[in-house]
Amino acid sequence: MNAATESVWNEAQRRSAAGALAERRRITIDPVTRLEGHGKIDIYLDAAGNVERAYLQIPELRGFEVFSIGRPAEDMPQITSRICGVCPTAHHMAATKALDDLYQVKPTPTARKIRELVYNAFILEDHALHVFILGGPDFIVGPQAPAAERNITGVIAKVGADVAMRVISMRRRVRELISYFGGKVIHPVLGLPGGVAKGLNPADLPRLRETARDALEFALFTDQVFHDIVLKNPDYMKLITSDTFTHRTCYMGLVDESNRVNFYDGELRVVDATGSQYAKFPAQRYREFIAEHVEPWSYMKFCYLKPLGWQGFSEERQTSVYSVAPLARLNASDGMATPRAQRAYEEFFATLGGKPVHHTLANHWARVVEMIQAAESMVALLEDPGIAGSDLRTLPLGKPSVGIGVVEAPRGTLFHHFETDARGLITKANLIVATQNNAARIAMSVEKAAKGLIRANQVSEGLLNMVEMAFRAYDPCFGCATHSLPGHLPLKVSILGHDGRLVRELTQE
Amino acid sequence: MRELSRVLVLGLGNDMLTDDAVGLHVARAAGARLAGRTDAVVRETMEMGLALLDEIVGFESLVVVDAIQTGRAPAGRIHEFGSGELEGRRLSAPHFLGVGETLFLGGRLGLPMPRRVRVVAVEVEDPFTLGKGMTAAVEAAVQDAAARVVGLVDELCASAGAAPAAPAP
Repeated sequence: MNAATESVWNEAQRRSAAGALAERRRITIDPVTRLEGHGKIDIYLDAAGNVERAYLQIPELRGFEVFSIGRPAEDMPQITSRICGVCPTAHHMAATKALDDLYQVKPTPTARKIRELVYNAFILEDHALHVFILGGPDFIVGPQAPAAERNITGVIAKVGADVAMRVISMRRRVRELISYFGGKVIHPVLGLPGGVAKGLNPADLPRLRETARDALEFALFTDQVFHDIVLKNPDYMKLITSDTFTHRTCYMGLVDESNRVNFYDGELRVVDATGSQYAKFPAQRYREFIAEHVEPWSYMKFCYLKPLGWQGFSEERQTSVYSVAPLARLNASDGMATPRAQRAYEEFFATLGGKPVHHTLANHWARVVEMIQAAESMVALLEDPGIAGSDLRTLPLGKPSVGIGVVEAPRGTLFHHFETDARGLITKANLIVATQNNAARIAMSVEKAAKGLIRANQVSEGLLNMVEMAFRAYDPCFGCATHSLPGHLPLKVSILGHDGRLVRELTQE
Repeated sequence: MRELSRVLVLGLGNDMLTDDAVGLHVARAAGARLAGRTDAVVRETMEMGLALLDEIVGFESLVVVDAIQTGRAPAGRIHEFGSGELEGRRLSAPHFLGVGETLFLGGRLGLPMPRRVRVVAVEVEDPFTLGKGMTAAVEAAVQDAAARVVGLVDELCASAGAAPAAPAP
């Protein structure tokens, strides 16, 4: 795609967004700060001053597909990993799997094990960051804590500097394991169609095994911390199960052949709001099951289950809204793939009233359960002598046409879809990222919290915290990893009445 | 291992997002001007958040180069501020994890964090659109910003050893 077309495409997006926004009365929480990323929440009021619609805006990433067109498909694992400083490994792996599909080649057994090891390590370290640092202020410090404590300082005060240090050092060691195979985390060079670029030197096995064993101990420790601080606190449990943070929707996640959670591979399984299997399909058929709905008030696309048709932001039995991310993965599976994680899974559902669990804030606990599976998988993969094999790649000989790959990113299902000409140059590229899959449910969550706190132009003081908590549980990724320093205070709410005048302005200090 | 008396110039940004790349370009330009110097290290990274900790730990001084959008200055304007202003920002929101928080976190954990921090930030126009080139005004500011960075490095090196004590965690 040439620069002129790219420019027109981007300008069209800018104008459509600006046009829609200019006509609305709105409250803006802008930005929601880097979680890590950048975004904002818009809350639209009707003439009576009540919430008409509220949703999360993710305005950053513009023109990615256009940017990709004309480039060699082999570049996609590197390009896509640079979209975002949050999920580079997820994009790298999804793109690599799309290349496998594009060239109709299956990775060698050793290559698959290495990919799975790296991927589980990534899930572990990313989840650890969210549990302790990004989500920590909500649950480790507590939603009712004074604003001055709801930050890193508060987390350290609550868990102790030694625990914080343990989080940092474990995360660093796990990232070193990822870098051992793929080079820089932000620029991985591991995945090739049909295999991987680097194998494991048997001499390094003891060191890597030690990292994996420590990672498992760390995951179990995290589970204990979560029990001690969150689950033993009845107020937290009341909040988790409260109606404000509950939505009856469908759920989607990757499962293995036994319907157990799998982050790297398998088929997509969807359960409905009652927990019954609605569909199970390979990634290549995603377009039969997933469609995108557009609302006039947003330039975001809201994914829904295509066979059911768009039913609105509904919690009725036939809702076509689905969710991804840790809670969705647990709901969409019949269990975890490893024994200790399975025990944690059983406790999770026993405590929260059985499957499916519809409480958004339970994502935090589900994340801890998944950390255990990721760590157990790392241990098992490194105990397998086959991981040090020398069969690193099956050379791709197929003629390229269409390649679709999927992984479970920490924050949910991630699709990469590439089409190429006979030379392997991209002619079409489509990504459906986790936050896009979750967009409709996140909008429902934000709206529900806002509706409870805004009545007739009156805004309750707890608005910022409650709305933030409503979407943060999904661990949303704002995509493009812009590094721009915040030029203004991180949270700002402008309340505009039906006549467009500013009624009130709130700022999160 | 703490690399005493060394200054780290750390360029932040994403080289595929138009103006968001400016921190990387300024760091590169500063690196060219600092070639051969043993008292300064120049790094570019597209990482952010906690990952910055690994880059920063062990240096005596730090110059961060980044994009900024205040919306109150024309694109290309060069802002400069010190660690005091970062401290003001760092705890202003519950979930923000930027340079300020990372410095603070490292300090609280007893890690050898830079005792002196300066930030050079270039006001950007479009850090959101995928593209390799920067907008004209931002591009035009790169060399001036690099000169500011080198000036800060000189200043920090000249005063090495006489640095004020790190603020108590």
